[in-house]
Formats: sequence, C-alpha cells, structure tokens
Amino acid sequence: MRRAHPTRSILMALTVLVAPAAAHAQDITASAPVDVSVTVYRDPYRNEGGFDLNNLNGFALVTETRRVVLTPGQHRLRFEGVADGIEPASAIVSGLPTGVIEKNRDAALLSPAALIDAAEAQQGRVLLSRTTPSGLTTRSEGTIRSGADGGVVIETTDGIEALRCSGLQESVSFEASRTGLSAKPTLSVLTRVNRRIEATIQLSYLARGFDWAADYVVSLAPDGKTLDVGGWITLANGNGTGFPGASVQIVAGRLNRDSGEIEPIDFGRPILARCWPRGSTSDTPDPIYIERAYPLGFEPWRFRQRAMAMPAPMAAMAESAMAKDDIVVTATGRAEQEDLGDLKLYRVPDRSTVASRQAKQVRLIDSLAVPVKRIYAFDTYPNNTTEFEPMEVILRTQNDKASNLGVPLPSGRVAVFETAGSGAATRKLLAGETSLRDLAVNEETEFKLSGGPAVQVRQTTESRERPDPPPPGVKGQTIRTGARFNLVDRVEITNAHPFPIEAEVEVYIDGGEELVRADREPERKNGRPLFRITVPANESVEFRYQTVYYE
Amino acid sequence: MNIRTVLAASCALAALQSTLPAFAQDKALAITIYADDLALVQDKRPVDVAGGRQRIEFAGVSAQIRPETVSLSANGITIVEQNFDFDLLTPAKLMEKAVGSVVTIVRVNPATGQETREQAEVLATNNGVVLKIGDRIEVLRDDGLPVRVIFDKVPENLRSKPTLSVTVDGDRRGSRPATLSYLTSGLGWRADYVALYDDASSKIDVQGWVTLTNSSGTTYDNAETTLVAGSPLRAGEYDSRPYGRPQRPQLVEAGTETGDRERLGDFYLYPLAERTTIANMQTKQVSFLDVHGVPAKHGYEFRNYWMGTQEEPQSAKTVYRFATGSAEGLGDQLPAGVLRFYMRDKQGDPQFIGESTIDHTPMGSTLSVSTGDAFDVKVKPVVEKRERLSSRRWRTTMKYTLSNASPRAVTVTLQQDGLWGDTRIQSETMRSTRPNADMAEWQVNVPANGTSELSVVFDSSY
Repeated sequence: MRRAHPTRSILMALTVLVAPAAAHAQDITASAPVDVSVTVYRDPYRNEGGFDLNNLNGFALVTETRRVVLTPGQHRLRFEGVADGIEPASAIVSGLPTGVIEKNRDAALLSPAALIDAAEAQQGRVLLSRTTPSGLTTRSEGTIRSGADGGVVIETTDGIEALRCSGLQESVSFEASRTGLSAKPTLSVLTRVNRRIEATIQLSYLARGFDWAADYVVSLAPDGKTLDVGGWITLANGNGTGFPGASVQIVAGRLNRDSGEIEPIDFGRPILARCWPRGSTSDTPDPIYIERAYPLGFEPWRFRQRAMAMPAPMAAMAESAMAKDDIVVTATGRAEQEDLGDLKLYRVPDRSTVASRQAKQVRLIDSLAVPVKRIYAFDTYPNNTTEFEPMEVILRTQNDKASNLGVPLPSGRVAVFETAGSGAATRKLLAGETSLRDLAVNEETEFKLSGGPAVQVRQTTESRERPDPPPPGVKGQTIRTGARFNLVDRVEITNAHPFPIEAEVEVYIDGGEELVRADREPERKNGRPLFRITVPANESVEFRYQTVYYE
Repeated sequence: MNIRTVLAASCALAALQSTLPAFAQDKALAITIYADDLALVQDKRPVDVAGGRQRIEFAGVSAQIRPETVSLSANGITIVEQNFDFDLLTPAKLMEKAVGSVVTIVRVNPATGQETREQAEVLATNNGVVLKIGDRIEVLRDDGLPVRVIFDKVPENLRSKPTLSVTVDGDRRGSRPATLSYLTSGLGWRADYVALYDDASSKIDVQGWVTLTNSSGTTYDNAETTLVAGSPLRAGEYDSRPYGRPQRPQLVEAGTETGDRERLGDFYLYPLAERTTIANMQTKQVSFLDVHGVPAKHGYEFRNYWMGTQEEPQSAKTVYRFATGSAEGLGDQLPAGVLRFYMRDKQGDPQFIGESTIDHTPMGSTLSVSTGDAFDVKVKPVVEKRERLSSRRWRTTMKYTLSNASPRAVTVTLQQDGLWGDTRIQSETMRSTRPNADMAEWQVNVPANGTSELSVVFDSSY
C-alpha cells in the first residue's frame, strides 16, 4: 500500500517547496455578512417606463459588514458570496488596521471546465475512471494535456487519449486541495498584520443587475375635482446572490455612470466531449425541419413578450385601485425620504430581504384629495388644416402642500383610474396610462392622457393672402423686407359632454411670425399665444386668429 | 511526512528540473503596462545552451503575444529563427496529425469488458475516421461499440497553450541568463478614485487605486509590475479616445507643477511596491493615493445649447470643483480613470452619488467634475419673442426661469451656447461674461425654495 503512492508524496513535497516562494500569504475567509445594506439606483438611461426583469440595467451599492480574525503575518483575506454583478474596481474595504496591499477579484468560478483548466495549468495528477457497459470500472492516473475548450486530451500510462471519445463512460477526478477555485464570486484583499486582530470590516461595492421603478396609481374622484395618488417603488435584484435582512434604500434622480463595460466573469462551462469526426457509414442526411404553422395573427413570441412586459406592480396596482377602501395607509410602511446631496434617498422602514432574482415592492406615496383641473388641450400652428380629432386630456395640479402633495416625485409610470356607473354598480376602471418625469416640490404636475371622442377639435386655414404692395413695416422700429403673408385660421371645439369643459389651444409660432389679431384675447405660455376657452355643455365653440409672416 | 520522503522528493525534483528546457522556477518577470491595452513583458530565465544549433521553448508566454515584437538576448547565442506555435492540442487535431501514422485501438466488449488491442493506420479524418487494420479498411466506431484510440505521443507542434520557440546557435555549452521580451495585448489598467464629499465642511477625501485587468489568457507569477500613465500611440493606430467622454470640459486649468514620481519621457510611472501575481481573468487593485480634507466646491451648471425653448424645466448638473496642486489640492498628478463620488446619508453611511471619467491630469490643475442631475435645481429657457429686423438680422428675447426646491440658496452657472457669428447681447437683466465667442455665462443666485428669472435680448444674424 505504501509503495502505491510515491508520486503523491513527491507532489506534496513539491507543494511545500514551491509554496513559500510563490507567496507568503495565507488564505483566510471572512465571515458571511453579519449586516448588509443595499442601495438601489435606477438605470440612468431608461425612460419613465418599467424595467425588464430579465435585463436589469440599474445597479446597487452593497455595503457588507463582516468579521475576521487575523493572526500576525500576511493574509489573503477572502470575501465569499459577493454579488456576481460586482464591479471589482469600485470595491472599498475599510476597517483593516493596516490597510490593504492589493485587492483581487478572480473571475474564474469553480466549474467543470475550470477544474480541467486548473489541472492542466498545474500539471496535476487526475484520476481517470472508465466504466464499460457491463459495469466494469477501471481507474488510472494521468495528466491533462489540453484544456476544456477544444476537447480534453489526457495522458495515461497507456499513451495519449481523448476524454469521452471511446464510447465508454469516462470521468476525471481532481485533488481537492489544489484547485484554488472558489464556488461563489469572491473578492480578496492582501493584507499584513503584526499582531492578532479581531476586526469588523466593511466591504462596499457597486454591483450591476439591479433596478427600481416608481409606479403611480391615480384615482379620480367621481366629481373629477380631486384625485388620490398612490405610488409603489418596485425594486429588483437580478443577481444570483441574495441579501437577507438588509437595510434597503433606493436613490432617485439621474446620476452619471461612466464605468463602461464590466470586467468579464467566467461562470464556467461544462466539459464537452469534443472528439474527432465521428461520421459512420450508416449516417443519413439531416432530417428537414418543418416549422410549426400558427393561425394567422398568432405570434407566439409576441405573447411571450407581453407576458414579460406585464410588470409585477400592475397586478397590485389594479388590485389596489379596485379595492381602494381596503388599503391601510400607515406611515411606518412607507419609504422615508431624505436628501442625499442633489439626489433623493428613500429608506425602506424595516429590514428586508432582497432575494436573488426577485422583485419587491414598497409604498412610496399616498396622497388623498389632491385638487386637480381637467384641461382639454390642443397644440397647433398657423397655416395648417386638420380633420376633427379628439383633444388630449391633462389632469393638472401643483406639487405643493396646498394640493396635498409637496414631495419629490421620482419619474415613473402612471395608471389613471376613473369611476364608472353609479350607486352599487360603481367601478373603478383604467382611464389611461401616462408617465411622470422627476418632479421637484412646487413644480406644475400634469398627467397627460389621450382623450376620448366626446371632445373634438379641428383647425381650418380660411385664407392665405399677400396684399400688394407689401406695406413698409408695421410696428415700432421693426423694419421688414420681403413679401408679407396674411393667414387666418379657424379653430372649432365640440363638446358632447353634458357639462362644460375647459380647453387650451397653444399656437406654435415660428421666428419672425406674429399673431396680429384674434377673436379672443390670448394668454402667453412658453413664449407662445395660448387661448383658454370654456365650451358649454353639449355645444361647440369656434374662434379665428390672424398671423403674418414674411417671405 | 517523514524526512526520508522529503529527501526522496527533493531528489526527484532535482531530476525533474534537469530535463526542463528553461527553468520556470527561476524566471524573473517584469511587466510594464500601458493604458491602452498594451504591455511589455520581460521574462528573465536561465537557459541551458547545448552548443551548436538548438531549439529553446518558452511556454507560458502571453496568449495574445505579438510575435513580431519578440526579442531574446543572452550571451554567446545567435538567433536563427523564431516560431510562435498556436496550433492548439485538441482531440480532432490529434487525429488529424495522425493521418498516415499508426495508432493503437482497443476494442472493448460491452458484455464482458474484455479488451482486444490492434494496430491501425489512420487513412483519413473527413467526416469520420477511416482506419486501415491489417489489410482491411474500416470506419472508426461504425457499429457504435466502444473503441479507445491510443496515440503514442503528442505531435511536436501541437501545444496545450501558445508556445514560443526560438532556434539559436550557441557558442559553448552551459547555462546562462537570457531575457525574452515582447509586447502583448490583453493587459490593461486605469485608475479608480473614491471621493467622499463632506457637505458640512465642503471637503473631499480621495483615495486612488490603480486597477489592472488581465484577459491575456496567461497568469504572470510573481511579476515586478510598472504602470505607465499615458498612451504611447502605436504606429498605424488612431488615437482611440474612450467612448462616452463627457462633452463639458472638466479640466478648467491645466496644472504646471511637477510631481515626485518617476518619469518615462512625458509619462509618469507607477511601480507597484511589491512583486505580484497577475492571474488570468483577474482584476487587481493597488492603492497609490490617499489624501484627506481637500477643499471642494459644490455648484450647479446648466447649458442651453441653442436659443430654444425647453417645454419642461431641465435639471441643472451637479458639479464639484477641486484642485490637484500641492497647496489646497490632491498634490499629485492623476492617471486617467473613473472618479466615484460618495456622500454620507442622514445615518452617516456613505452612499454613491455619481461618477465621471477623468483624463490624465497634471499636478496643479483645477478639475470640475459633474456627478449627475440635481433633482431640485432646474432651469427652463423660453424664447419669449423672436423678431425679424431685416432679411439678415434677428432679435431674440430669452427668458430663463431658475427654480430651487432645496432648503438652501444655490448659485447656478447658466450658459447660453450657440451664439454663432456676430451675436451680441442687446440687453440683459444681469451681467454676463463671455467665456468664448459662442457662449454667454451668468452666475444666477436662486433663493431657497424659490425662483429667479433672467431675461436677455440677443441680436444675431440668424
């Protein structure tokens, strides 16, 4: 028995001789996180819409508190189980009394192919076991001569062979102590201490594969004069690492991201039997595939996309809108907001688990009875004849305390519900979907919806004339050359509602163009004429405006 | 393990070494990494010269070596030729190279496990292996039964990893030191900065790390490593500036101070203090800068790119300005990299507030770095009036409304860009400066939770 292992003894001696020369560092693994904080940032390049759970482009700042005991000497202190989306360059380790000599993140994780590659690089002995169909197993020692990528070539006492090309069951096993690979994403730091230290260390890093979104539910009161605003924060972790019992924050506002591509991580590959050509005389040509026919208009991928696009909060939103009276609004359940420099930070009140590949929701806002104006809007420009079209609906309010708001509103999607029916048949139904940009306190807040057919608008250019000869200038010091055109446009608004409506028509005027006369006195908004019109119930209103421009 | 085993092992080790062509154990690696995916590897190791013509092999060179840059220097040898073998060893290549030669096949009886050995000549490997066994020709594993194929040896030019071989002419026998040097891609570095801004004192603490990455396919053991800040342009290549470079200028003043770091021509050198192992696929960071309490000015900036209306208020950029000089600054030149800003939240925990790339920056410079958009500070430019004075003269009245929802007064640097030609400011409600002919700039104070307005009349030829 003793004679059977001379090679093993030599290998061990080799290890002893070589190891001190290579590095004096001793591997020490820090404890699992005893405390963890996760701050989630949204994708800076995503618009107000929701995110795709399979492709999260936001990120998070993860801060882990871990414990470690160091004896005098040089150590490779390993932090196992960091998020797999870690940006190693952003890692900060604080709490080590003597500082950090260097930080490392090895991208190769323990995997079948990584084991083969490590065995090949170290020229270590592997054990090849081979089993015949009759169940007879033989074992022989060998070395790996080429790595996993192009197929494994192994050298045994018999000669050179290729792994799994013979048709027999073959597998290799490795010396446990020599792989040097970690099973989880691992960050390590090299540090040196001269006395025994028990330290509490903070490791913080940015990690990709997170995102969050704000989703608002706006419910209009039956009289249409007020609305209730509810909001959810939905945050998602697409990493393979979970963060149990974490303190969770999210940050609103757009911040710069400039890191570029993340360093690659090798999650490992299987060992594939890549052999020599294996055709035989009995091979037949490849069968022809016939694509499955679908009924006209049925596109399976579209259905899949729609299922994916249906965001998790939507279900909850619909539910909350249906049963508004059942919502228990508690201050403790809501995310608390504070300023973080020029950004807004929201703190989830209780510790919470951000599990791997999970989306989770926290209440962002609940504001009841927000006074609102319902405006029917039309943007137009002179010299433009249109067909009748429905006017856009704007629900306008001010983000201030007087309007029961007055809190920063992070950008997000908005679902607007209105009441239908009366008495016992009252139902809340989705009236439209829109979005909000980042709104600071005191900003004008508008929910824009596409209007229904009840309120229609049309503009007609009635006349386009060039008086001859052109008059030499009209107003003040303005000197004009070229031919002058006179335009008269007519706007008609029809209201099929049994109640009066407020309408706004904004006229986009080009440089040099001028509004000279109108049936109604215009106001000004964004430097442009704005007509504010009340259309009585079941009536229509029309007005004309005259503009001039010069060729 | 007893002493006898150790001794036996040491003897075995000695025996093993004498058969190696170049002693990997004694090799001293020096690596110089430049900033744009270029590194110089200097590999010193003793080689055994037999005298006369001989081939020396260097395994474990970078897999992304540029073979045309290889040079080998040692006393008393002349280089005859250099080869870089990258035909990698795979089962398919093994069989292909065996065409025309004899291999051993072992047929295994599936029922009994009994083995039958035969010698076979490989005739072809096109879509299947054709063998000649005795005077019969058959297709390998045509019947699907297990057959092991055993090769005597690995063909000489099939390697498990890229190998450089040099044929030399040696004058005499004996071991001597040789230096192999070559350029490779796959190694790169940049700087990463962590800046913690303290709002109360308007100061930043900055840590600088050099981050080097190795995707060259090879591990470099125990290497003496030097990083070069600067981008020596290689012949025939364009200056490929990093993508996504910010449009606003960050270097306000270029510094004129000299640091005490080692130089190489116009570039600064950052040698790592200790030898280090750069593993393949590894990201490694080493500290090079740690300064505390550097004054930094927090401000806001907004640029309107042309004389146009913004339909909705736009956020101003958050900007931090600080110096890199020895007085009241970072006191070092900064290699290009990413500067990440952190700030403490109400509970005292540092939170990330944005980042920006910076270019190589000389000592004594002033940097102005933007971290992102301010949630509460916004600007809404509106064209109030646009009149045509003549066919070639226009008058534009702009109104800028600045709003501040934060509980403290701020100053916004407001810039109107796009003042091409002979654009003049006819009147303004606040004095402007003209940083350049295309741009006017105002410093607008906005009260806490309030708004400010600025009106300007431009006289322009378009």
